[in-house]
Amino acid sequence: MSTGLVDNWLNVDTFGPIYPFVGTEVFLTIAGLIFWFGWHVWQHQKESAEFEADMENIKKQGGPGKVLEAESSREMKDSVG
Amino acid sequence: MDNELTALGIIFTEFYYWVTVVFMFLIHVGFCVYEVGASRYKHHTHTLMKNTMVIPLVTVTFFFFGWWIYFAFVNGPWLIGPLVDAPFATPWSELMGTHMGNAAIQDTLTVDDTAFWARINGVFWAAFLLFSWTAASIVSGAVIERIRPSAFWTLAVIIGSFTWIIDASWGWSWNGWMVQKLGYHDAYASGVIHAIAGGFALGVLVVLGPRIGKFRADGTPRNINPHNPWLVTIGLFLIYTGFWGFYVACNIPIIDVYGSAMLDVADKTFFSATNIYLQPTTLSAITFNFLMSLSGGLMVAYLISDGDAFWTYSGGLAGVIGASSGNDLYHPIQAMLIGGGGAFLAYKMHFWVENKFKIDDAVGAVAVHGYAGFYGVVMAGFMLWGYPSSPFEGYAPITPWGNFLGALIMFFVLGFFPALIASKILNSMGKLRIPREIEMVGLDINHESLRAMEAEEVAQAIREEAAASSS
Repeated sequence: MSTGLVDNWLNVDTFGPIYPFVGTEVFLTIAGLIFWFGWHVWQHQKESAEFEADMENIKKQGGPGKVLEAESSREMKDSVG
Repeated sequence: MDNELTALGIIFTEFYYWVTVVFMFLIHVGFCVYEVGASRYKHHTHTLMKNTMVIPLVTVTFFFFGWWIYFAFVNGPWLIGPLVDAPFATPWSELMGTHMGNAAIQDTLTVDDTAFWARINGVFWAAFLLFSWTAASIVSGAVIERIRPSAFWTLAVIIGSFTWIIDASWGWSWNGWMVQKLGYHDAYASGVIHAIAGGFALGVLVVLGPRIGKFRADGTPRNINPHNPWLVTIGLFLIYTGFWGFYVACNIPIIDVYGSAMLDVADKTFFSATNIYLQPTTLSAITFNFLMSLSGGLMVAYLISDGDAFWTYSGGLAGVIGASSGNDLYHPIQAMLIGGGGAFLAYKMHFWVENKFKIDDAVGAVAVHGYAGFYGVVMAGFMLWGYPSSPFEGYAPITPWGNFLGALIMFFVLGFFPALIASKILNSMGKLRIPREIEMVGLDINHESLRAMEAEEVAQAIREEAAASSS
């Protein structure tokens, strides 16, 4: 019993495809396309959530100006040890 | 394969392309390094990931439809003929998996197709795929620090697995309609990779707009210097290195040019490397010309940029790109001079377009790839005027007008306009550009805030430990 068309290598000179489950290629293609497209959808949702969180973070800190100020003072602190 | 010589030829070809793929990987490494060096630290992580994720997204889509397009679209389709069958390149083809080249299961495959593609399909696919990454990666650098990653990845799939491979099918295959009817000649892809990617980047930039702070109130540009110029130069060195692999991948390593019904001369055999159009050339010739055009570009760029490192390196690249169309046939000194012209044009055009049209191309990608690539195709039309474009009978010869039309198709028809339309659609949905506040503070704000908090916590723990040890 084998998941592919190979159960020995004696006739390798006559072999065609040797991956498992030959005959499922169309199904694999559909599964692959769903995986790819689903990734884009999921990533887009995560990105939107991330940007919302970023905006919230910026607002909480008093706006972009305050964030940049805080950052430069942190850098200053770093540079003076 | 029961004949040792045939087996050697086929397995050598398989190995040859595999080596080029590994070399070409360095192009992508170089682009990633280069972009991180060019961006400001507050955008680093997103900049790096934006280009890194080109690898899987373009790879899977190139498997699903890009590879098939290359063979199926040679006639347009319906410009000079119908869609062409390519049963070995569909994602459900058994020849896209491990195969010993004998008994095909799918009845659409011929015995010859099966024997040949069983060994070559994966490495040939990968060689083209690495070009696809490059096309998308060229665009990536131009749009840093303000494009939404999701928008960029959509655009990357459009150019990487769709428009560039259509242009390859039309103008960078032995039987593409542009080769047959226009005599289009572009051996090392000045147009089919660089002009299209530069045109595509320009199409995106027109809609995307400049980075905040790029232009003064009076419209004059500010220079946003690379965060780390040394990283940028290392990136460009890596791109040069990968470019070697790219050149070698553009050749077919060994073929009988009197075989395969190409040159109809009885009883003659002549083995040679050929370019993608099956015209004879040698690795030796392209090695001369790669280095001489690189040198011409570097020398001119150094002088006109007053020794600016970023533009000198970019000029080297523009030199190679400017000569690539004809680098299979040029004399090395011709390649050097034409390369110098490519660097000059790229440098001058970049600043002219920036000033005139307020286009913020963060890394000069449109200039180095787009304008130099366009120029390269046009120059080859003049330099190789009258040469046969193919070993097959009935093809148009190489001409200035054929290559000029080809350059327009690459830059505008398949580059600029598809990008403009796709970007406008994304923009109308509010999905093209990141929010203004995030652009100002940096795409990595949450990473940075978290990192700062974590660093502070560690510092606090050390202070406590130190205080405890002192008491």
